[in-house]
Amino acid sequence: MSVIELEDVIKRYQSGVETVEALKGVDFSADRGEMVTVIGPSGSGKSTMLNMIGLLDTPTEGHVHLDARDVTDFSEDELTEERRTGIGFVFQDFHLLPMLTAVENVELPSMWNTSVDRHDRAVELLRRVGLGDRLDHTPDQLSGGQQQRVAVARSLINEPDILLADEPTGNLDQDTGQTILEELTRLKEDENVAIVAVTHDDQMLDYTDTTVRIVDGVIQEVAQP
Amino acid sequence: MAWRNLGRNRTRTVLAALGIVIGVISIASLGMAGAALQQQATSDLGSIGGDVTVASGADSASDGVTRAQVETLRDIVSDAEVVPQKSNSTTLTARNGEEARMSVTGVTNAAALYNLTNGDAPNRLASGALISNGTAETLDLELGDPVEYDGQIYRISGFLEESGGFGGGGGQLVLPISALSEQDGYDTVTVVAGNSDAATALADVIDSQFNEEDDEELRVSTFGSLDSLETFLNTLNYALLAIGAISLVVASVAILNVMLMSTVERRGEIGVLRAVGIRRGEVLRMILTEAALMGAVGGLIGALGSLLVGLVMFQLLTGDAMAVFNWSSSQYLLFGFAFAVVASVLSGVYPAWKAANDRPVDALRS
Ligand SMILES: Nc1ncnc2c1ncn2[C@@H]1O[C@H](COP(=O)(O)OP(=O)(O)O)[C@@H](O)[C@H]1O
Ligand SMILES: [Mg+2]
Repeated sequence: MSVIELEDVIKRYQSGVETVEALKGVDFSADRGEMVTVIGPSGSGKSTMLNMIGLLDTPTEGHVHLDARDVTDFSEDELTEERRTGIGFVFQDFHLLPMLTAVENVELPSMWNTSVDRHDRAVELLRRVGLGDRLDHTPDQLSGGQQQRVAVARSLINEPDILLADEPTGNLDQDTGQTILEELTRLKEDENVAIVAVTHDDQMLDYTDTTVRIVDGVIQEVAQP
Repeated sequence: MAWRNLGRNRTRTVLAALGIVIGVISIASLGMAGAALQQQATSDLGSIGGDVTVASGADSASDGVTRAQVETLRDIVSDAEVVPQKSNSTTLTARNGEEARMSVTGVTNAAALYNLTNGDAPNRLASGALISNGTAETLDLELGDPVEYDGQIYRISGFLEESGGFGGGGGQLVLPISALSEQDGYDTVTVVAGNSDAATALADVIDSQFNEEDDEELRVSTFGSLDSLETFLNTLNYALLAIGAISLVVASVAILNVMLMSTVERRGEIGVLRAVGIRRGEVLRMILTEAALMGAVGGLIGALGSLLVGLVMFQLLTGDAMAVFNWSSSQYLLFGFAFAVVASVLSGVYPAWKAANDRPVDALRS
């Protein structure tokens, strides 16, 4: 069963007098343990679609289902709660907090929740992405690939159902990108999460279960190699 | 977390905190300056503020206040002390040739009027003399030394406390009233009412008893001007505090600016926090905590600085540095600190609210 589903989603942006239709009726779904790669030219609506899946933005028309629940009309606070418990994010430029150590960055999403102590899990996740000896390093003491691995660990701290990655290898060289992709594939299975990744990176297609091509706000093809 | 966020842009944080420190120092120091002035002025005036001075009026036929009038006064004022005095002036010459010109007051109940630094003020001064301690020093006089007035010798039985600011520089010699007996009436009669309110009331009673619209038998005066002095000091106090408050407003604007800049700068980061599920209220609290911390640290340093300023100020104005710890002045340290924290948190509200309600998509795109 799909953990996330977009149903005929339309997204319009109003910029001045002009209206841009970034998504023109998109149907999409992803399952646990599945890695879906979204490809398409720049400006085709990939990030917009990822924002819908990640509950960072709401559709102009259509519905979003999370775990078979319609979350389209959730309030901002309810959406925040869903993001906290169910969704992990990995960004192109890592977005780690510079004054926190690696392990603190990983704990960040659970930092305000005093009822559970995620410290052990944070350490454990960092070990799994190969940073067991870098726990107390701050981001400026880590390479780009190491920072992105910290970000991957952070995205998993709250045991999400979905992991979203917008060009996770975009700022990394080929080899480092590859290790990140291997990491994601392994974690996908270990943690049983659905991964939705946007990419320009062809090597990513070697790791993916499903490839979705989007052009001009419309899904052109869905390929399962 | 809040600490480390503040630590990130140290110069900016330090500058903002400095603004608070200066604001607190100015409001607390100015408040304490007011308290010091007030304390100084009231202690100067305290003793004479409660007195009514009665002298012969413009339309009086007699020379001075008559014995009969003094008796009537005693009847009217019941429990207040009525102290008739005669006055003159003289020049004393010391053994070493030093001369001092001074006023001479003849009085029986010296205890009611004077504070002594040394020796006793008798309430029936019969033979001794009291002399201002400053003059005694100039003339090198000690207890028991003789002074001569009008051909008579009096032995010094006490030293008068110099009456600070008011009453003027000249020395004073207090003698038994018999020393100035050549005149019949008294030059002045002091009614010791105790405090300035009672003095004003008594003055009214005396005035209405003796005087008519066009017939002033006795001239009755009080230091009622003390009231207006107090009002003036209060006004001065408020003016000082207002100046201090303005500097705190300026400090608040500085904090507002720092908090706004730092939230604008961290927009992306705050977007990440929101994306990973940190609630709006939590972002709000985080930024307000930063502001409060900045205010508390700035306020604390400011309060310590003000304490130093206050110690110096009280030492200079009242000669008692420790008086700064009296509640009347130390309260301004607390006010200054509280104001710093409150002003900081208030200036943090808008930036915090703005940052917390920024949509994460927009924050992340920028
Ligand atoms: N917040 C926005 N306001 C206005 N237009 C936007 C906004 N976000 C995206 N767009 C527009 O929507 C289209 C799709 O953008 P995006 O999803 O970022 O594309 P991609 O990620 O595939 O490059 C673009 O034309 C872009 O200009
Ligand atoms: Mg994009």
